[in-house]
Amino acid sequence: MSEVIGVIGAGGKARPDSAAESDVILELRHVTKRFPGVVANDDVSLSVRRGEIFALLGENGAGKSTLASMVFGMYEPDEGQLFVRGTETRITSPAEAVALNIGMVHQHFKLVSNYTVAENIVLGDEPLRRVAGVLPWLDMRGAEQRIADLSARYGLEVDPCAVIENLGVSAQQRVEILKMLYRDSEILIFDEPTAMLTPQEIEHLLNIMRNLRREGKTVILITHKLDEIKQVATRCAVLARGKLVDVLEVADTTTAKLAAKMVGYDLALTIEKKSAALDNAPTVLQVDHLTVEDDNKFPVVNDVSFRVRAGEIFAVAGVAGNGQTQLADAIAGLAAVKSGAISLDGVDLTQMTVRQRARAGIAYIPEDRHGMGLILDLPLLQNLGLKSYFHHPFSQRGILQTEAFEHHARRLIDDYDIRAGQGPRTLTRQMSGGNQQKAIVAREVELDSRLLIFVQPTRGLDIGATMAIRRRILDQRDSGKAILLISLELDEVLALADTIGVMYGGRMQKIAPAATMDRYQVGEYMMGARASTSASASTSTNASISPNTPATSAAPATSAAPEASAAPAEVQAGTGTQQG
Amino acid sequence: MTKKKPLQLFARLLGNERWQFITIPAFSILCSLVAISVIILLIGKNPLEAFSSLLAGAGWIAKSNYAGGKAAFTDFMDMLDAFTPMLFAALAVTVALKSGLFNIGVAGQMLLSGFIATVAVGYSDLPSVVARPLVLLIGIVVGAAAGALMGWLKDRFNIHEVVSSIMLNYIFQYVISFFIKTRYIDPVSRQSRMAAASARLEITDIKIAGVTTHFPLGLVLALIAAIGIWFLLAKTKTGLELTATGLNAKSARYAGIRTGRTLIIAMGISGALAGLAGVTYYLGSVRSIIPGELTSVGFDSIAVALLGNTHPLGNIASSLLITTLTSGSTYMSSTVGVRQEIASLIVGMILLFSACGGYLKLWVQRATSEQLPDKGSESVHPRTISGQEEQA
Repeated sequence: MSEVIGVIGAGGKARPDSAAESDVILELRHVTKRFPGVVANDDVSLSVRRGEIFALLGENGAGKSTLASMVFGMYEPDEGQLFVRGTETRITSPAEAVALNIGMVHQHFKLVSNYTVAENIVLGDEPLRRVAGVLPWLDMRGAEQRIADLSARYGLEVDPCAVIENLGVSAQQRVEILKMLYRDSEILIFDEPTAMLTPQEIEHLLNIMRNLRREGKTVILITHKLDEIKQVATRCAVLARGKLVDVLEVADTTTAKLAAKMVGYDLALTIEKKSAALDNAPTVLQVDHLTVEDDNKFPVVNDVSFRVRAGEIFAVAGVAGNGQTQLADAIAGLAAVKSGAISLDGVDLTQMTVRQRARAGIAYIPEDRHGMGLILDLPLLQNLGLKSYFHHPFSQRGILQTEAFEHHARRLIDDYDIRAGQGPRTLTRQMSGGNQQKAIVAREVELDSRLLIFVQPTRGLDIGATMAIRRRILDQRDSGKAILLISLELDEVLALADTIGVMYGGRMQKIAPAATMDRYQVGEYMMGARASTSASASTSTNASISPNTPATSAAPATSAAPEASAAPAEVQAGTGTQQG
Repeated sequence: MTKKKPLQLFARLLGNERWQFITIPAFSILCSLVAISVIILLIGKNPLEAFSSLLAGAGWIAKSNYAGGKAAFTDFMDMLDAFTPMLFAALAVTVALKSGLFNIGVAGQMLLSGFIATVAVGYSDLPSVVARPLVLLIGIVVGAAAGALMGWLKDRFNIHEVVSSIMLNYIFQYVISFFIKTRYIDPVSRQSRMAAASARLEITDIKIAGVTTHFPLGLVLALIAAIGIWFLLAKTKTGLELTATGLNAKSARYAGIRTGRTLIIAMGISGALAGLAGVTYYLGSVRSIIPGELTSVGFDSIAVALLGNTHPLGNIASSLLITTLTSGSTYMSSTVGVRQEIASLIVGMILLFSACGGYLKLWVQRATSEQLPDKGSESVHPRTISGQEEQA
């Protein structure tokens, strides 16, 4: 309570100074928002100054999104007042917020996928002209020009004529930013903007925020990533369980201090890790010359070989889209293997179905939690039994045993600290992202498999949940499991790995013990800059392709087509083994 | 604010989630009846009279007079004649929808199984003890084969089930029309020859208290099927695999479910139910096949399944409602002078209003909790926050 008063005091400090007073663009006074049975925001008072980057920091469920949603008119506060540019305002809808020059980029983008960038941006605010004074005419050309100008001014690098479905996540986000700028937004709210971006894209976004600030815009950044705050924000409000803990000048504080404020106690940001004794450890997963093609016959995983031993965390680093997801899918049996072999404890799995592999000892925490890891419209208890529903005690003679599911779910909820409002019967869709991920991890770890594949296990989670999952991964390693960890976050790879593999362009560029690689070396391999292995790899590709070309072109002439195509196949195999 | 009060009271009335599955459809039906009353008033008739004559026509209430040997009971049994295949067909659509598939080929599957059963058993001299079970068996097997074929086409060649079932509808319709016209035609009625009474799934000429009536044998089976399908979907391993595949095929595959096989099983079960609808229709109340025509039951069943909230037991209620409307409409048009098509209009209205059921649910949710359910971020969901509170 004393902290809250302290903050009001901080707001009060600005008041006597009339110049500073006019600087405050947005002020919340004693704002409280309740949901049935819960206080989401409890007597929060803070002010945001014109032209600053103001961060809202807090764990999942701390109330930061609710707070921002009230500014954007999605909720109305139950108590307290909202001042925009010094006048008390009630914002009852997003439309009103837009009229007040407030814009928001949501976590989930709201774009029409088969429209162009410009069409999406003008939607709802179309530039109409009257041809010959009467005929309404949509001036797309002018809009495109204006968007191109805005894009150049803020360094957004967006082509107004591109179609949304052809753009990546990062570009779509920049379209959302353009949408706000097009509507002359002065206060721009970003809700967890970096959750889905790669390190490079995050860097780009932070630069954009700096540009916005330079041009006089005010940015409200909702995040739980401390280093981003440290990099761009001027001030930072820390929320915990709906209450404002403190407002800090970012320049005067450290990330450790921010983290401590956020969780309410000092949190170890690094994990103690015993070094693994791997010399005599048996190989659990062996991947040999694995090639996986996508729908366009492009080798997204190209001749990848590695092994993971018992008690080892093999971490795959790499920028998004370099074949990591497909590698994991192929091992789990979800992507078709073009060539190569996968074996577990010496048993060849390559021809096995997904279930056979799971029963042979593969647990898989996939990247796509909503699309793959869970069935959101089923209750939690069925999701927790998704990998074991078909056998005893969950099924008996084809009939599901509800008590077994319930018992299993209750145990996992307790053991893994999964928070679900209505216990095992909670609809999975209604759970928070962190708890959904905990549920997946709980289900997969409980399978007690020889190999656990984790893909992006902590993406979008708050620090508490992240640390819990990382500790869980280490526990599994220490109990002798083989772990394949695929992560886009270099910090995660460096914190957990015993061995690091770096993927670039579908190839495993480098495999080395974690102790022998530093951040910058890994980074270079991730960007494909260190071409030592990739050069030899590309020559081998050429070698295998060049004999192929005359053979296929000769095929119609010689009629001995099957033999002709068989020959280069051997050559290909030959180069493959040489390379290995 | 004052205007909001009664609305909120009303919302609370509908708000109890446990009962929403019944309160919301009931409200939709009420709305459509009100709307239809307005239309009937506009054409200068009494809506109450029209509705009561509808109910009388379907045998729920007594008519003013009856021909010799008939009673409300007879009309009620007539309605159940139509109800039986409708329930089977709606269940067929429901199973498919629950598995993420749209079986629009129910009419074709009905025709195929009805035709094969008629030709193989209906024209034979088999005694009814053998003939009737055989008809049911043919219905199940032929329907399941036709359904599974569509599932297989989808799994193997990625042909969407809507496309393949519409095409197969045409193929069944015209090929069967050819055979009926060339081999099985009744020169007088221009339809297929009547199936033998011993093969029909109906006991005719029962006399109860001086009233002659009949009993659709498929009725019991249809009710058992509804309960059976509910059990299958809710309580069995296969049911979980079907629903999981229907809700999210990618997750299902990840869970180790062979989604291709599940697809074929789902379409097979759906087809078997459609086949049963076919034999209870073509060898039930209708005794012959009009060449080149698909029965409207097959298509109405889609609407009925949706009205029944794609719940097997809900289908019983919705089938009863729709068949009441359709079988009562003849009597309504003859007594009140409201044209028969009004019944179709009522059906359409009910469907229109029940399509709004989803919105109504959303609205109730908003009005009772003042909360936006479609908010993007999950972290503001009350349940999440309550979880956070537990932590505190």
